[in-house]
Amino acid sequence: MRRREVVQFLGAALALPFIPRGAEAAIKLGAELHLRLDDVPFRTLNRDQQALVTGIAEMIIPETDTPGATSVKVPEFIDLILTEWASDDERAAFLAGLSDIDVRASAMGSPRFVALPAAKKVELMTALDAARGDKTGAGLAFARLKALTVYGYFTSSRVEQEILKVQMYFNGYQGSVPFTPAV
Amino acid sequence: MPPMTFDAIVVGSGISGGWAAKELTEKGLRTIVLEAGRPIDPAVDYVEHVLPGEKRYRGMGNRKQVERYQPIQRHTGACDEWSSKFFVNDLDNPYSFPEGKPFYWIRGRQVGGRSIMWGRCVYRWSDLDFTANAREGYGVDWPLRYNDMAPWWSYVEKFVGIQGRRENLPQVPDGEFQTPWPLNAAEQKSRDILLTKFGGERVITNARLAVLTEDHGGRQKCHLCGHCARGCITLSYFSSINSTLPAARKTGRLTLRPFSVVHSVIYDPTKKRATGVRVIDANTKQMFDVNAKVIFLNASAMESTRILLNSATSEFPNGLGSSSGELGHNLMDHIMDGGASGTLPFAMDKREIGNRPDAIYVPRFRNVKTKHPDFLRGYGFEGRAYRPAWDRGSEMPGFGASFKKSLIGDLGPWVMDFGGFGEMLPRHENYVELDPHLVDAWGIPALRVHCSYSENEHKMQDDMVVTATEMLEALGATDIHPYKEDNPPGLVIHETGTARMGRDPKTSVLNSHNQVWDAPNVFVTDGACMPSTANQNPSITYMALTARAVDYAHQLLNRREL
Repeated sequence: MRRREVVQFLGAALALPFIPRGAEAAIKLGAELHLRLDDVPFRTLNRDQQALVTGIAEMIIPETDTPGATSVKVPEFIDLILTEWASDDERAAFLAGLSDIDVRASAMGSPRFVALPAAKKVELMTALDAARGDKTGAGLAFARLKALTVYGYFTSSRVEQEILKVQMYFNGYQGSVPFTPAV
Repeated sequence: MPPMTFDAIVVGSGISGGWAAKELTEKGLRTIVLEAGRPIDPAVDYVEHVLPGEKRYRGMGNRKQVERYQPIQRHTGACDEWSSKFFVNDLDNPYSFPEGKPFYWIRGRQVGGRSIMWGRCVYRWSDLDFTANAREGYGVDWPLRYNDMAPWWSYVEKFVGIQGRRENLPQVPDGEFQTPWPLNAAEQKSRDILLTKFGGERVITNARLAVLTEDHGGRQKCHLCGHCARGCITLSYFSSINSTLPAARKTGRLTLRPFSVVHSVIYDPTKKRATGVRVIDANTKQMFDVNAKVIFLNASAMESTRILLNSATSEFPNGLGSSSGELGHNLMDHIMDGGASGTLPFAMDKREIGNRPDAIYVPRFRNVKTKHPDFLRGYGFEGRAYRPAWDRGSEMPGFGASFKKSLIGDLGPWVMDFGGFGEMLPRHENYVELDPHLVDAWGIPALRVHCSYSENEHKMQDDMVVTATEMLEALGATDIHPYKEDNPPGLVIHETGTARMGRDPKTSVLNSHNQVWDAPNVFVTDGACMPSTANQNPSITYMALTARAVDYAHQLLNRREL
């Protein structure tokens, strides 16, 4: 159920089986022709909105010893979804919520989120994270931005291959393998 | 075009049509399979190993295209960015329902039909199911009992290849099983706890699945990629394409004709037999006839009935097989969308390796030994325990480097889900008819569907929520989310009935061997034939009924009685 909820961004139902992880290189058969994300320019987000989305996405999943959200083109993915996938109402609600985030930033002394000092950004992000259940405004936009950032990041080809190391063939199923979190 | 002539015609190449083709050809009959849809090339069409990163919408689907061309099909989860091509274009294949009374008819029109993207769960019935109508006064009595079916289930199960665990539960008899996969650590622990706390009444077992755990019949064992609904290049799950159609082709007696939309059955009143079928070429729209001694309708429950309804003659003005007044009636599905999920408190030091395609199953426990006060019949639960890994990220509080590290390096606690699948009672008022104002892309009258759940199903769904929550509480789960959704019938994709079997031609469409009472050389062996639907997934029963009916038809042909 949880995955279904996660990917119900903007309200559409989707049921994906598990994405395999933690093994070696993926073996792919029958890859379909499709338009690469690299080929798609920003079409919905204006420059300020791009900067805001990029700034927040990178704060959600920053560059560390592994790629961050920007490196794997999460902002471009979000723009694609807003342009080709979201309904007019959903897109408008999201963009209005982005504006509200900047309004919240104004109340903290900067006209835009991206211009806030680092500590203030964290403070506002923390507040937005707590408001993800809101039905409109900044909380709604942040919830959708966070969901799309996580989804866009972990479904990018680079993360699938380099971090998740998605495997498509297993010789047998093991249901009880020792596991220690690497955190 | 002069009529083509064969020994046998099979309409539809899905899960039961494939079996009809295999059995008829292996018994020596030159057989044509007429499939309304396109051919499938596994090398091109199977895309189970294409990762989200290679898809334009990363698996979220081409939403606008699906909303435009598949406004009904999009309601099923498998109609996704990989597999939406296996579901029909709703604009070409319309049907109607009364306003405010929707029925979601999920269809696949291609060689293999819905056997490409089916759920693969296979359960036998018991006499608890076969006798229910007679005991409770709903519908008509099944003309069969468990002992009639058991050898045929065994026969098809051996060919299909089924992984399952022997449990010796009378309500879901064991079958011919390959070695089951183990339950995962959380499921095993949950099984042990529930067996104790519910005195053996609620049993978590492996979902019995038509997926190979051992190489079988030239097909390889499952490679655990976890994406069966997109096809399987190693042919590890059972489908017509992977299994029965190749067996039929091997005989040299199979003619498979895609793009062949069957319009109607041609009936000769002097012989009181069908002589063949009228077909429309899907591409040229040219009409032609195919003749044969015996006809098997396996177009899927409502499509087979639609063909019969569209085969009216002066003798049968309401459609071939309509003399009982029951043709089109007693439509059923199952009811789902009642259950609960929760976070388990154990097995945090364990994980899975391999994407096991099965789920767990909790067989029916209501109205088995004691009578429930609120509803008749029963339900089972499908579910599984899983660790959501990065999938939990959008709900997990936090952001930044530690958030990212947790999504990559931890899997999150195990989540257990129990989702109920319950029996729907057969009721005459749930029915299909030809819509006088609607035709499909080939000019064939479309169906109008009248179907809704009754109070019995709704009360059963209420109970699913209660018992799923009870089980999670017994497991010590936290963050329990009971859920109940009021979805229309059809979405379980187990539509059955509309041409039921029975003991009496006055109250049924088919006899105990799936022969149309009014036209004995016409057999209907898909879901249309079912007088009731139990709570188990139905496909293996269609397969067994088909093999049984072909055997009977062959005997009649040998005796020149058809």
